[in-house]
Amino acid sequence: MNQKIKLSDLFILLLGIPLVLTSCIGDDIINDRVDPMLRIINPIDTIAFDSTYQFELSYLNNIGREEAVQNISWTSSAPNIIEVSPTGLAKGLMTGEAFLKAEVNIEGEMISDELLVQVGEMTTAAVTERTGTIETTSFYTLEGSFTLSDVEGDMVLAIGDDWKASSNLPGLYVYLTNNPSTTSGAFEIGEVTIFEGEHSYNLGNQVGLNDYEYVLYFCKPFNVKVGDGAFDN
Amino acid sequence: MNKSIIFIIVISLLSLSNLTAGGGWPQLKAEGYFKLSQWWIVADQHYTDLGLIDPNVTTGIFNTSLYGEYGFTDRITGVLYMPFFSRAFNNNLVSGTTGEVLVPGDAINSFGDTDVGIKIGLTKRGAPIAVAATILFGVPLGIEIGGSQNNLQTGDGEFNQLIKLDAGKSFGKAYGNAYVGFNNRSNGFSDEFHYGIEGGISLANSKLWLIGRLYGIASFRNGDASVGANSTSIFANNIEYTSYSVEAAYKVQGNVGISATLASAFRGELVLAQPSYSVGVFFELKQ
Repeated sequence: MNQKIKLSDLFILLLGIPLVLTSCIGDDIINDRVDPMLRIINPIDTIAFDSTYQFELSYLNNIGREEAVQNISWTSSAPNIIEVSPTGLAKGLMTGEAFLKAEVNIEGEMISDELLVQVGEMTTAAVTERTGTIETTSFYTLEGSFTLSDVEGDMVLAIGDDWKASSNLPGLYVYLTNNPSTTSGAFEIGEVTIFEGEHSYNLGNQVGLNDYEYVLYFCKPFNVKVGDGAFDN
Repeated sequence: MNKSIIFIIVISLLSLSNLTAGGGWPQLKAEGYFKLSQWWIVADQHYTDLGLIDPNVTTGIFNTSLYGEYGFTDRITGVLYMPFFSRAFNNNLVSGTTGEVLVPGDAINSFGDTDVGIKIGLTKRGAPIAVAATILFGVPLGIEIGGSQNNLQTGDGEFNQLIKLDAGKSFGKAYGNAYVGFNNRSNGFSDEFHYGIEGGISLANSKLWLIGRLYGIASFRNGDASVGANSTSIFANNIEYTSYSVEAAYKVQGNVGISATLASAFRGELVLAQPSYSVGVFFELKQ
């Protein structure tokens, strides 16, 4: 009987303690800080003479999350050519061009976005497609170019024919995000099933052309980043 | 047999390699070896498909298992590896900027994949070199996909058959053993070639055994490329590694003893890049 008790104690000591001490769910800390940014999300390069255009802004905080901010100021470098109201309503007054600048003070730091706009015959968007290059941030193969554009009313992320990724990557997912370190707050496009050559993702009207700053590839099972690509424009 | 390999497979393979301690010597009739053990690995990095090391969210698996060999005859030994409690977990992913939990961790507990089979002695007792053949059937009793993110597993979901040939030789108080094996895996997973050598020496009036092992797995890479495409497995299929382990086994009283094992890899592909540990209590059944 004593022998049984000793063996039982031995079992608990040897087998139970490692399980108890090391099998609990802990925390992995990641550095997900990004520079806060203020963005004009509907930029134009030309405003029609004697017409108005309402600019929209998005402020992304230090983890890339959109956040409402107050006291944003708008200024025009040439108010006699383009005037802009404190709410971002611009009006083309005469032929020429002007820099329009939105600025906000966040805890003593001035954060701004600026846009060069001409006055012309018609209002035209500054960007109709956005491009970038995917690069691996791991030791897995992952590379290629991408283009985000509006195709007949649907936003489409097209991956170029230079796309190549390791097919051994477990649970590889692609996202659009404003924080390339995490999928938190990111728009999940879906699982990657094509590992070489061009392909595309139809995003419908779920995202805007300028909503996100990065394409992000993440190993979902491991919650670890594999690669990313910032939009060049 | 392509992409979906996970902790449990790693565990099963590593454990199996370590646990089939009989080598070329089957048990004598009505004798046996039984071991209750705890095996675990916790890792925040893994070998990529290029053999380089990448980080991952800290993840771990624990198998509380029973390993047994029992001699039905002097030539035929039954073998069982049964992880009757298997736990897999991964950590919370926490923002270093805000402290917010970005992706919550999770854990699952279940029965694990079990191996059962027989070992057949091919040579007579006392032969200069003892040779034995083993066939093990891997029964998928664990959880293939679990946890809130579907990324935890305690089993691989496939039925495999490992055929293994051991050859061992005694050198007084020491022994040496070598083996090769072929693991036929199902559900589109790649088949595998297993290999290993081990040597042991008894000390302290045969109360203490020190055992060293070198072993590995090479993938035939003949699986279905689509396997794992929709999987949330932690590792891709086609894992490979070359590992070593050291084990100390000490007889505490009579035929009862304790053992501790440390195992790690020299190289690997698609496998965790941290050491594994095992502690256990064993019992030798003697006539």
